[in-house]
Amino acid sequence: MKWILIAILIFVIMLIAIRLSDQYKDKYDFYFNLKNFLNQFKINVSFRQDKLTDFVANVKPKKQFKLFIDAYSEYLKTNKLNLSEIKILEEEEKNELTQIVMSLGKNDSPTEIMQLENFLISVENNLSSAQENKNKLCPMIIKLSLLFAIGLAILLI
Amino acid sequence: MLKDFLDSEIYNQILKAFSFNDITEIRLRVNEKIIVAVKNKKYYLKDENNNFLICTKQNIENFITRACHNSVYAYNNNIIQGYITLKNGIRVGLSGNVVVENNKVVTIKDFNSLNIRIPHIIKNCSLIAYDYLVTDEVKNTLIVSPPGAGKTTFLRDLIFQLYNHNLAKNVLIADERNEICATNDAIPQINLGGFCDIYTNCTKKYAFKNGIRSMCPDVIVTDEIDLDCDLQYITEAINCGVNVVATIHAKDLNQLKNKPGFSEIFEKHLFSRYVFLTNDLGPGTLTYIYDDKLNCIYSR
Repeated sequence: MKWILIAILIFVIMLIAIRLSDQYKDKYDFYFNLKNFLNQFKINVSFRQDKLTDFVANVKPKKQFKLFIDAYSEYLKTNKLNLSEIKILEEEEKNELTQIVMSLGKNDSPTEIMQLENFLISVENNLSSAQENKNKLCPMIIKLSLLFAIGLAILLI
Repeated sequence: MLKDFLDSEIYNQILKAFSFNDITEIRLRVNEKIIVAVKNKKYYLKDENNNFLICTKQNIENFITRACHNSVYAYNNNIIQGYITLKNGIRVGLSGNVVVENNKVVTIKDFNSLNIRIPHIIKNCSLIAYDYLVTDEVKNTLIVSPPGAGKTTFLRDLIFQLYNHNLAKNVLIADERNEICATNDAIPQINLGGFCDIYTNCTKKYAFKNGIRSMCPDVIVTDEIDLDCDLQYITEAINCGVNVVATIHAKDLNQLKNKPGFSEIFEKHLFSRYVFLTNDLGPGTLTYIYDDKLNCIYSR
């Protein structure tokens, strides 16, 4: 019975650790998708010039980025942007994202492209930072959690 | 229809005060009273407390953002030319600060006024003129009227009448400002019959040159010609055996004669018919028809 309880404890700790590390992976994925989204939009503005609503409707998002696309689609309909569902971003990051999306589609194509290039630089910085955190913190969280679980198990034995 | 574009306060007041079917024009000017034109009469829009509704800069910006579906870049070519066409053929004229770079208009910003023109189909408004303009073929015709007197309405009805009379003429519409057909997602919002090929949002030069080669039209129809620059393409088309129906701004024959380029039209007998319209009994009221020697062959 004792061994089963210890196994469950280790399993739960590791599960929490994976969930924690997933946050960093999700954030990296989010910025990766945002970068792709802005790049694709830049191409659209340069060539096809589809309307923003049509362009957004054709995006096939996943996970956290889907929450953003849903919120943005709603904004295009109602003019109200609600990013509260996106838990992985801090307030400052949400403000930055709000600034970006609210500026989209407000200019002629050369200005829009120039603006998108500036946004891409900023998103690229966030992506690098998210990648650094993902590469550094994810293995660390897993390793520390494993050590913690083993230590706790030894104590209980 | 305008619900999607106008701020709710303005839209609701218009809805309370007028029937949308009667409105011909809405004018929004920054910091000025909003004007609604109904059957040739103009009214100031009032709020619930009977005070005049004043248009703000934000009202205009919101309208343009919505009219462009949040995609100004996709509409900039139209904005440069000072208009946006909405669904159902509603035409929005824009004015503001024109941005010029290297002698080329790049865009318009800081919009200060909008002229929202709501089209009305006046069925059979060209029927009286029809017999003067069409025999077994369509005569080269210039439709003349001051702005807002129903040239485009008349033109649309004439195109439809060609179809309705089973004339089976291929009509190429050079719709430079998307005003005649009001196409939306490639579909004309106005029923013009089944013999029309449409070039929208392109120059008359492009539509005339390419249209004759690729679409083999019997008739080319175009709106608001400029005798300075469009005469060459019209002459070429007529010399290719294609008939042309066009419109031009002028109040009467004297004003038309004073236009630069008119003497060339007259001397070459480019147009066989000159149709004069007024707004006297509503848009598209036919007043005179002249032949190529400027003899009056119809008078109201």
